[in-house]
Amino acid sequence: MKKKLWTACLAAVLVLTLGGCSAETAGQHPEGVVDTEPDKGLEVMGNHVTYDPNHLVNDGQPVTLEWWLWDAPDLFGQMAEAYMEIHPNVTINIINNPWDGFWTKLPLALQKGEKGPTLFNVHNSYQHLLLPYMAPYDIDLDQMQEDFFTAASHVIDGQIYYTDFGVMTGAIYYNKEMWAAAGLTQEDIPKTWDEFREVAKKLTIVEDGKMVQAGFNYNGDFQNLMLGVPYQYGGTIFKEDMQTVSFTGEGMIKTAKMLKDMYRVDGIGSEDFGTDAAQSFGQGQSAMVYKWGHFYGYMNTNYPDIEYGAFEIPTVTENPFAYDRYNGEATPGINKNASPAQMEAAQDFIRFYLANTRIQKELCMYYSLFPASNALRDDPEMLENPAIAAVSEHIEDYIWPGPMPSTLEDNMKIAAQDIMYNDKEIEKTLKTAEDIVNVDLANIDFTSAENLYYKYGQEG
Amino acid sequence: MKRKIMGAALFLVLLMMGVVTVVPFVWMVLSSFKTNAEISALEQTLLPKAFTLENYATLQSNFNFLRYFGNSVFIALVVTALVIYISCICGFVLSKYQFKGKNLIFGFIMMTMMIPWSVTIISRYTMFVDAGLQDSYLSLILPAMVSGFGIFMMKQDIGALPDELLEAARMDGANEFAIFHKIVLPMSKNSISAIAIFQFLWVWEDYLWPYLMIDSEEKQLLAVGLTTFNGRYSTDYGGLFAATTISIIPVLIIYIIFQKRFVAGVAAGAVKG
Repeated sequence: MKKKLWTACLAAVLVLTLGGCSAETAGQHPEGVVDTEPDKGLEVMGNHVTYDPNHLVNDGQPVTLEWWLWDAPDLFGQMAEAYMEIHPNVTINIINNPWDGFWTKLPLALQKGEKGPTLFNVHNSYQHLLLPYMAPYDIDLDQMQEDFFTAASHVIDGQIYYTDFGVMTGAIYYNKEMWAAAGLTQEDIPKTWDEFREVAKKLTIVEDGKMVQAGFNYNGDFQNLMLGVPYQYGGTIFKEDMQTVSFTGEGMIKTAKMLKDMYRVDGIGSEDFGTDAAQSFGQGQSAMVYKWGHFYGYMNTNYPDIEYGAFEIPTVTENPFAYDRYNGEATPGINKNASPAQMEAAQDFIRFYLANTRIQKELCMYYSLFPASNALRDDPEMLENPAIAAVSEHIEDYIWPGPMPSTLEDNMKIAAQDIMYNDKEIEKTLKTAEDIVNVDLANIDFTSAENLYYKYGQEG
Repeated sequence: MKRKIMGAALFLVLLMMGVVTVVPFVWMVLSSFKTNAEISALEQTLLPKAFTLENYATLQSNFNFLRYFGNSVFIALVVTALVIYISCICGFVLSKYQFKGKNLIFGFIMMTMMIPWSVTIISRYTMFVDAGLQDSYLSLILPAMVSGFGIFMMKQDIGALPDELLEAARMDGANEFAIFHKIVLPMSKNSISAIAIFQFLWVWEDYLWPYLMIDSEEKQLLAVGLTTFNGRYSTDYGGLFAATTISIIPVLIIYIIFQKRFVAGVAAGAVKG
């Protein structure tokens, strides 16, 4: 009896193994059908980059693309569905990956040539890793620049391999309840850092010598402020060669001093008031924080009951060289080793993507991004999002330093700890950070895009 | 008296260690019934203030949880069964048969345990991709089915069985196949239990290799799925805790099934030679 049981178990294992190994990929789309109808009766989309759906892709023959992404498979899946509805011979299979592993697996997969994904989402900080595998978009450069205000910063040797569909930057988020409790109104929204510090003082509550409510909390964000605010003084982070940094310029030192004074002189916050400003804001302990657009999603996920608003980052002068730096969320890349049929379909899909403002609007709303498409700039629905509205007025005056290597943030974070916790001298600490970053940059193939900013050369 | 005090002190230390070990687990399970706001709230409580099943109800919307769960159970069971069987056969041969190069072979097997996985993973990846095994469960089963640890454990355990017992079986006409299945396997239950628990756990929590080899979402494993709760900017702790709570159940079941023999098995593998 036992022998029979063992045999049955082993047989079951074997059958399951074979069954599992040869299982069809049931969740994927079936192969596309042959499309014989070029005239879809649909309107041409887009302004300068246009998409005319009334044509056959790959002569109407079935073709399958894999599209790798790390987030929002439903949202990107809807786009793929919309495209496949127009071109039923094209099958786009969405493969969602965890963010952490994506950058390990994707380059390995792209080494497989046409067996790798045809389309893949890009983050500009990994441009150096992906560029060798990317095909340029088959779209006129001038048309791209007419439609997307950040496209110029993504031109590589006269071609575009990806661009931004939206951009994200920093803003000040404030707790509306605390704002009102301090007797502040919309009229009190500060424009300058001096005004900001006064407002923050009103929002600070200290009881029995102990801080119970920080007026402004930048714990964990010192390095982000340090890599943004100095632009307001007219300086750039990168030197003229665009490959080495300068952390000892006037803007950097003044910004560091201002941040330190906020805590030590004004007493509007404290480096000992928790290590995470976002959490402190969510827990109702801090009245104002400096955060990037993704904070909107963070609050929705973790603290949906907190009522908050956002306003543009204060400045040191009325017309700063740049308000802050921004970073973009990128359109997909195309595998340059894709088969000719896949390449044709992928290029066609990218054009559909770029000409379709509805798609871009959904994406920007989802990620709380200011749209890169000029057509969406004044969209009232998008401006209801405080993260988008806060930066909308002067978005042209934000600078993109390029896909910044992590060494900048990492070493500025260490400098922040030395300045705030170890009370080290600001100038010397920043010089040390600068030296370390420049050694790191010497080993990285990186060139900043600061000189593509329209005010570059007009620094103060 | 002194003995009693020492015993009580030892009991207290063990109790504290037990509490320290168990409390995070209990906290995670209870937190899976809290909202994200409560999980991140300033004032922490062990029990949920506002009990919610939302994290469990929305599990399936984040990824195909049940599918991933089923895939993980399938792979973990198959690999565990294969490892047990292969380890027992190898352990039997290496401990009870005399042939040239036996120690050399065993030495090689031991060496495989001493090479960090990070050293071999790139060459292994290239090899499996070139063999066309990407996105196939064979790529997960083949490299895991021969375990140096399992063979070592079983060699130690089977080596301790009296040779006379096997000789007696041979005298009674049993062939080697029968001896292995009817005598050796039943007498090695303790070590088999230990290997089963270890191996199941290793396969269950393995992340990088399944992630690299499996592309199709419908073939993906739970350990990979759990990482999707860690977004680029924030983590859905409620969802993560709920998914992790469920994912622990198979490991607990395996442990409950084999626990009686587990300690004896580990001890046997460790001291017999």
